[in-house]
Amino acid sequence: MSRPLRRGKTGFVVSFLAPAVLLYAVFVVYPLLQALAISLYRWKGVSARKRFVGLENFDKLIHDEAALQTLGNAAWLLVFSLVAVFVGGLAAAHALNHKGRVARTVRGLILFPQVVSIVAVAVLWEFMLHPDPQMGLVNGALALLGVKAHAWLGETATALPSVGVAFVWHALGFYILLFLAGIKGIDGETMEAAELDGSMGLHRLRTITWPLLWSVKRIATTYLVINVMNVFALVILMTNGGNPDRHTEMPLTYLYEQAFENSQFGYATSLAVVDFALAMLLSLIVMAIYRKNPVEGRR
Amino acid sequence: MKRRLSPTLLVALAAVGCGGPKEGTALRSGGEAGAVAKGPAKGTLEVAAFQGGYGIDFYEKAANDYEEANPGVKIDVAGNPRIWEQLRPRLNGGTPPDLMFPGWGMDHWALAEEDQLEPLDAALDGPPDNGAGKDGTGKWRDTFEPALLKLGQLNGKQYVLPYYFNVMGWWYDPGVFKKHGWTPPATYDDLLALGPKIKAAGMAPLTYQGQYPYYMIEGMLMPWAFSVGGQKAVDDAQSLVPGAWKSPAMLKAASMIVELKTKGFFQDGATGLSHTQAQQAFLDGKAAMIPCGTWLYSEMKKTMPAGANLEFALPPVVKGGAGDASAILIGIEPWMVPSAAKNKTGAIALFRYMTSLPVAKRFVEEKGTLTAIKGSDEGKLLPVLAKPSAAFKASKAVWADQFRNWYPGLEKEVENALTAMLNGELTPEAFCDRVEAAAEKTRKDDAITKHKV
Repeated sequence: MSRPLRRGKTGFVVSFLAPAVLLYAVFVVYPLLQALAISLYRWKGVSARKRFVGLENFDKLIHDEAALQTLGNAAWLLVFSLVAVFVGGLAAAHALNHKGRVARTVRGLILFPQVVSIVAVAVLWEFMLHPDPQMGLVNGALALLGVKAHAWLGETATALPSVGVAFVWHALGFYILLFLAGIKGIDGETMEAAELDGSMGLHRLRTITWPLLWSVKRIATTYLVINVMNVFALVILMTNGGNPDRHTEMPLTYLYEQAFENSQFGYATSLAVVDFALAMLLSLIVMAIYRKNPVEGRR
Repeated sequence: MKRRLSPTLLVALAAVGCGGPKEGTALRSGGEAGAVAKGPAKGTLEVAAFQGGYGIDFYEKAANDYEEANPGVKIDVAGNPRIWEQLRPRLNGGTPPDLMFPGWGMDHWALAEEDQLEPLDAALDGPPDNGAGKDGTGKWRDTFEPALLKLGQLNGKQYVLPYYFNVMGWWYDPGVFKKHGWTPPATYDDLLALGPKIKAAGMAPLTYQGQYPYYMIEGMLMPWAFSVGGQKAVDDAQSLVPGAWKSPAMLKAASMIVELKTKGFFQDGATGLSHTQAQQAFLDGKAAMIPCGTWLYSEMKKTMPAGANLEFALPPVVKGGAGDASAILIGIEPWMVPSAAKNKTGAIALFRYMTSLPVAKRFVEEKGTLTAIKGSDEGKLLPVLAKPSAAFKASKAVWADQFRNWYPGLEKEVENALTAMLNGELTPEAFCDRVEAAAEKTRKDDAITKHKV
């Protein structure tokens, strides 16, 4: 390739990339930097008046038990949904990987909760979990089995798991489809060879399907990290953003409380900065764990 | 080339980012006592109002009537259920509307602390509106209920003005009570005696909005602290006087709540109920009484079972307590004029018209809530408002839960500790200790502006 042509190509690439880079800089990089700047100020968020306080907000943050509790809650929800999605999602995907009519119908229905607005999901589950057995489906069903009614969303031990169930119910369909696509993407020859060697059922799932789904697992985990860090409306609606006693408080609901209820925008922004850093860190860890294609290593 | 460019870009952007915040920018433009308003509004006027259960149609109609009475004035009224979200950037940018009712999502004391609100003292010393869009006689100030006007003051200056207000109390169905021969409990002892009878009839004596603990704070905890320790007990707590949140009065109030819980007076699972779920449970006859504000009827009328009725009573008092038995806890819905508004005198003139007796009376009749204007409840009153209105008039101690607006972080901690106490995780003593610790934290945090009742 001659030099002028190569230079022409560079100009071509730059001219196509420039608008995207510019938009990214203006709408992503600039607000991020501005957030970083605001986190160093005391700002009530109702006037242009701000006072530079250095790292005061971050110092307050590391001593804020409630803020730490939100991270604990998010971690719990992440582990809970990871287990639910990987066990439930993978099992369902495996079961649905057939050509039968039933499997096809279920595959169509499985995404239904995902299409429902998160607001509707929250209201639906709020009523499903109603403490009165005559009102709530869950307590009603348990009453038939002779189990005492619970205020699922009001009791310390059950509130976060209840939110977790609603969260997974809403999200699961997407992950089943993701795993299904992953399973379908596995080379037919590999499966056939495994079958000829007598690998069936759980053995094949453990030794063939599971390792070969590495890229799907990476996507699923990354998505879950992001989704859990972004939980907001579900908790605002189901438990008024953190009840009982902050046991369902999430990083974003706490941030919202600090900014919009307590008028501490500077502090809220420092929470946002930390949440952002943690989400990035977690994503990087996920990337590192699933970095290598295990199959390639064996070849 | 690319590699050298990006760090430069980053630094440049960072500089722009840091350049944003300005220190100590004052937006104050009016005098110390604020804009003075005499005579009708002139020019154009923008009103932004919270569109809650009572809508904004009344304000639109009032604006139209005012325009007709004063040709040449052009008023634009806009509102929505989350108006505060739109007002925030406008206040930050210095281009607010002229008159606003930002609703419960706006921390209006933060606005006052940041000099974003026009003091209205000079205007209050001016004439009121005669109800026809013209100046009346006397002082505008004197047309308001003084106890409600006081709630809009900070450091002796009037920053917000009350329009309609709510009364907090307990609600019951008079039909149900009559059928069983029950009387609403006037004292806590009455309640303890009545409870077993209600339970025997297959109902819970009480339910509460567990997901929104402030109903119980305003309907039980604070009124009982008042009843036991008198005005000083709650004033001290609200003013963050050291030890006030663990005073004997507060401890007694917390113990009373735990006693009711232990005696099984509360509906099972109420900690898990949202406000509407709890209110519906009460209307459906699962519980005999519920603490709530005067908005209860308008909030629930669509799902009220046929034959159900609502009646108001003050929370039962503690016999021999220091507090006046007629004490009543109210909450105002404040209107305000931004200090950066373009037409402050116009805004004040319009609000004077809205608060004139004939217009305020119409508001009470059409919307079914009380207003802060003296005599506005003398027209046709919604039946459910008769008792709250009478209790307000007869009260020798009108007071408000102000710390909820002053120190939202502390209030949240009281809510959380209350929930923990109801879930059996805190004793009344531990509840008081935890809340006092939160009050101490608030006291020490110099990022939080302090207030006094």
